[in-house]
Amino acid sequence: MLRKLIVGLLCMIMVASLLTGCGGNQPAQQQETTPQQETSQGAESEKYKIYLITMDQMDQHWVNVDLGCKKAVDELGNIDYHWLAPDVKDDAKQIECINNAVAAGADAILLAANGPDAVTSALEEAKAAGVTIVYVDSPAAFPAVQTIATDNVAAGQKAGEELIGALKANGITEGKIGIVNVNAATASTVAREEGFRKAFANTNFEILETQYSDGDAARSKDIAANYITQGCVGIFGANEGCTVGTGNAIKESGGKVIGVGFDKSDAILNLIKEGYLYATMAQNPDIMGYEGIKTAVKALKGEDTGPDYIDTGVSVLKKEDV
Amino acid sequence: MKKRDDKNILRKIMAIRGMGQVITVAFGLVVLCIVFGILNPVFFSNRNIANLLRQIAPILIIGIGQSYVLITGNIDLSIGSVVGMSCMVSATMMTKGVNPWVAVLITYICCLAIGIINGQLVANCKLPPFIATLGTMTIARGIAQIVNNNYNTDSIGAAAKGFRDFFYYGKNFGVFNTIWIAAVLWIIFNFILNKTRTGRYIYAIGSNIEAARLSGVNIAHITTTAYVVSSFCSCTVGLITCAISGMGTMDAGNGYEMYAVAASVIGGVSTLGGQGILLGTVIGASIWGVLQNGLQFAGAPVAIRNIAIGVIVVVSVLLDVIIRKGRPIRKKKNITTVNKAEIKA
Repeated sequence: MLRKLIVGLLCMIMVASLLTGCGGNQPAQQQETTPQQETSQGAESEKYKIYLITMDQMDQHWVNVDLGCKKAVDELGNIDYHWLAPDVKDDAKQIECINNAVAAGADAILLAANGPDAVTSALEEAKAAGVTIVYVDSPAAFPAVQTIATDNVAAGQKAGEELIGALKANGITEGKIGIVNVNAATASTVAREEGFRKAFANTNFEILETQYSDGDAARSKDIAANYITQGCVGIFGANEGCTVGTGNAIKESGGKVIGVGFDKSDAILNLIKEGYLYATMAQNPDIMGYEGIKTAVKALKGEDTGPDYIDTGVSVLKKEDV
Repeated sequence: MKKRDDKNILRKIMAIRGMGQVITVAFGLVVLCIVFGILNPVFFSNRNIANLLRQIAPILIIGIGQSYVLITGNIDLSIGSVVGMSCMVSATMMTKGVNPWVAVLITYICCLAIGIINGQLVANCKLPPFIATLGTMTIARGIAQIVNNNYNTDSIGAAAKGFRDFFYYGKNFGVFNTIWIAAVLWIIFNFILNKTRTGRYIYAIGSNIEAARLSGVNIAHITTTAYVVSSFCSCTVGLITCAISGMGTMDAGNGYEMYAVAASVIGGVSTLGGQGILLGTVIGASIWGVLQNGLQFAGAPVAIRNIAIGVIVVVSVLLDVIIRKGRPIRKKKNITTVNKAEIKA
């Protein structure tokens, strides 16, 4: 009896987790009932229904995009805002989310596209249904009102320049450089690496073969430790996990190697504070969400939305900043 | 006289089931090390050897767990997720100010529960092990994600320094603690598998589950034991992962279940059950670690590394199959009589 109960329970959990694959974010839906809506209900313009669709719900990055959106929604008022995202990064699931938003009568969609091509036909249908599309974080290969994102190549180049500067300050002008990246398929981190390599184009430094850790901090640490054994003078981590791993490896080796990385998290900031990482490039996801909502509303009202592309830039964080 | 003793010892070693493949693969490991050493002399530097051993240790630990389960003729796909769950559960508690050692204890309890569920689902509820552990795999990953509200945790802080040293950064007698942990676990679990009744039953179930049942072996109990060992090992690796990074990452341990299968299988553990020894798992895990480390030093792209590892997994098992097919039938009979004798014992 107990066995059957356990099996039944597990089945239910599995079915439930399947069904919620493309669920709306509960807190996001609750927060939309802000006081402004009641007061502006009878105003001349109707309520805009705007959906944010991200790659998944897990990453802190997306949570911050959502926070930026909510900030803009609070300021502008009269917006029915929802955040939709697949439970894991998956093209088919993101397409479902887009279709769901269109079916629910969205006026505008802010989209962080998984990849450039996978979602384009879904977006075509959305546009045919009269939905305004704005890209946040990563665009797809389909025309939209505006793209608001980090220019990852430029950001990677900035990281490279920071590393060269720090090495030069220590009197080092040649040597081996290691790169810890996530994998070869994530467009954003690949672009960062491209920019990073660009910065080193006319120097005497030798960049070694890139190693991939899937963003796992423990595996990144192994890779970075191997780089240090090989005699690298500088190491670059392309995302949060890669950067934490790099910092820990440098910390253990005594801190002579210079590490730069990407993203802002408590663990990274601690490593910078202790002096084991030189700098990290922090993106501004909240600005993406905030500006995204503003652009969407402007476009819906028929106002001018400005340039096609807005680079939200990166902030370079060093020891003195934390 | 002395010569004869040597011969006897050699014969004794060779008589251990599964030793053939272990020796073949160990030879391969030596060749790999020499090649990498020639390609890049740094490979044999003291620092790299210490690093290399530390990189092998976690793979060996999950390999031990997976070997236990494979020898019973089952498979544990939940290993990677339990690593992630262990990492997140322990890190979350530590960031909330729980004493690290209390956090470790609670983490072990949570992870062992997954092992018990696995064992019960497979042995009592008769679910195919692939499905049962696929379920617990996603459940454990879900727990890893939900435990800190879908965030990676903050840094586990200075209070956890003792914890981090114990599991990873500290040294005893000049050897890193992670290596000690792997060695101690290996000795304990190797003893259980070879010298105790439980160990013999584990082989018995994997060789012939019906014969074992008829001989009065408690199948459910032994299967559950194997799964609990597996989740204990995964939990330990999760704690090591947490100690390495000083934070909890939700993606920790992604794909580790397959590393564990690879380490076991390269070392001669059969996925059909009843075959293999833990010494093989040591060699399997070492080959895995040496390839990861050595190919990075050789400057090979990651794609090449993936291909190399895949080829080695297939070839090492293929060799074993060919060797076993080539054996005269008389020997096969011997093996079955040995099995029967063991079941009776």
